[in-house]
Amino acid sequence: MHRSTSWFAALVLVLPVMGQAQTIQNATLRRAQQAFDNLDYRQALTVAQASLRERLSGFERGRAYELLGFTYSGMDSILKAVEAFKQVVLIEPERDLDPNRTSPKALSAFQVALTQILVVRQLRVDSSNFIGGQGAVPIRYIVTQPSRVVTRITGGTGPLASMRIDSTVANGQVNLRWPARLPSGDPVPAGNYNVVVEATVGQNNFSTSQPIRITHGAVDTLEHLTSLPGYTYLPETEVPPKSWKPLGLALVYSGVALAGTSALSHGELGSPSMREGAVIGVGIATAGFVMTLKKPAPQPARGSILYNQLLREQITRRNTEIAQENTRRRQQVAVTVTPLPRTGGGR
Amino acid sequence: MKALAVALLLFWPVGLAAQHVTIGPQIAFGDYREVSSALHYRGNGLAAKATVEWKKLSADVVLSKVKYKPTESNSGASEFDASEIDVRMRYYIRGPFSAEVGFMNRKADPEFEAQSVGAVTLGAYMGYLLGPGVHMSLNGGLLFGAKYSGGGTTAGLGAVQLGLGLTVDALKGRMKVTGDYGFQTFARTVDNGSGPLDAPIQQSLGRVGLAIAF
Repeated sequence: MHRSTSWFAALVLVLPVMGQAQTIQNATLRRAQQAFDNLDYRQALTVAQASLRERLSGFERGRAYELLGFTYSGMDSILKAVEAFKQVVLIEPERDLDPNRTSPKALSAFQVALTQILVVRQLRVDSSNFIGGQGAVPIRYIVTQPSRVVTRITGGTGPLASMRIDSTVANGQVNLRWPARLPSGDPVPAGNYNVVVEATVGQNNFSTSQPIRITHGAVDTLEHLTSLPGYTYLPETEVPPKSWKPLGLALVYSGVALAGTSALSHGELGSPSMREGAVIGVGIATAGFVMTLKKPAPQPARGSILYNQLLREQITRRNTEIAQENTRRRQQVAVTVTPLPRTGGGR
Repeated sequence: MKALAVALLLFWPVGLAAQHVTIGPQIAFGDYREVSSALHYRGNGLAAKATVEWKKLSADVVLSKVKYKPTESNSGASEFDASEIDVRMRYYIRGPFSAEVGFMNRKADPEFEAQSVGAVTLGAYMGYLLGPGVHMSLNGGLLFGAKYSGGGTTAGLGAVQLGLGLTVDALKGRMKVTGDYGFQTFARTVDNGSGPLDAPIQQSLGRVGLAIAF
């Protein structure tokens, strides 16, 4: 409860300050805006120019020039509109007009203004996470005029005090990928850095920056496999269907023994004695009958045994590969790049 | 019995190493005939059987002593003890088949009441697993080089032996119930100067017993 009250108090104190930073406080400028909203362009022009002679914040100055640009566009004074928009872009390089809420004349004047001054806009460093040496950080920006653009990393020590990562002659959208490695090939140490983009053409130059934070972590290792997805071990024995084979074979074996006894006996010795053979033969036949009634013993299933053997070999091979991969990963670093909020615009 | 002790001493250490040894006593009952139907004996006795298995090789040693009595008291025959040793070694070939080689020797006591005989055996053995722990076998072969205490000879294929066996596991395989049947016939001929005379010998021996498995 106490904690939420503190947060609320902080918000009450901070919100008006934030609102002041992004709203027009200057009365003259507000009158100019009012005149423009009333389509009184002459009045808006006069009052907006008057406001520029007053003390304005950066935001208000940008709005004042923007109002002039819109007003000149409305009055078909395109060249003057372009000049006013150039001032807007110089003050706020990231400024863009909403094409759905802006007249085509003003939009075209704004676009012309962009092409007449050198700025680097919309510098973006995407959040990314990769294994050091195996990935790259996407960086993109827009340069408004053909110029020599140098991208550097600053804010570190040693080579990272100012390390050039790209140099090109570009115009328009530029995309580049930075592997976040030092010249030695090692990953850039963890810390806060700035991605600085400097564009130069003749005497003009412009630079902007984006702070980033680089953190290091351990690379995830792979778990060893106990099974292959979609493949399961098969039972290595199978119960054969019940059959009369045990009894049949018991009778055959006993019959052969008794018939053999009878056939091989000498006639002059009288009729052969079947007592001994019969006792054992009956025992075998009884055992065969019982085995016929019993559930057959599981027999090895050769196909399943081979299949399981193949599966085990496959898993062993894959685990060996995983072990080698994990050994390699333990020597690697997971690099995480996170863009930080900007503190100011470009110059 | 001395022979049994000697056989046990010979096979016991091998059995311990191989760990596929069974040994146990049996009750024997038999039928013995010689020369003519008048010399017909039946009897009971004791036997011991040891089996050793090692890889594709296996061996059976059977010692038995049966007291045979004449089936007809007025035949003039007297009872006698038949002590027999039967040794067979097998080599597994394929499927149910094994080759079998060995020897047998039977001594009659008193010596002149019946023929003592010894021969080398050569034959085949068929084994089949009827079900879990239940094994049956059928074996047959020839008895070569038969020697008789009373003389006489046997033609090459004149001596034959046949056998049937059953083994049932009990107590989780530590104990086995055994049953064996053996039939031997010797087409013996003797010549006392008046020409060759047939004097066949025939024995049917059944054995039932227990065995301990190691």
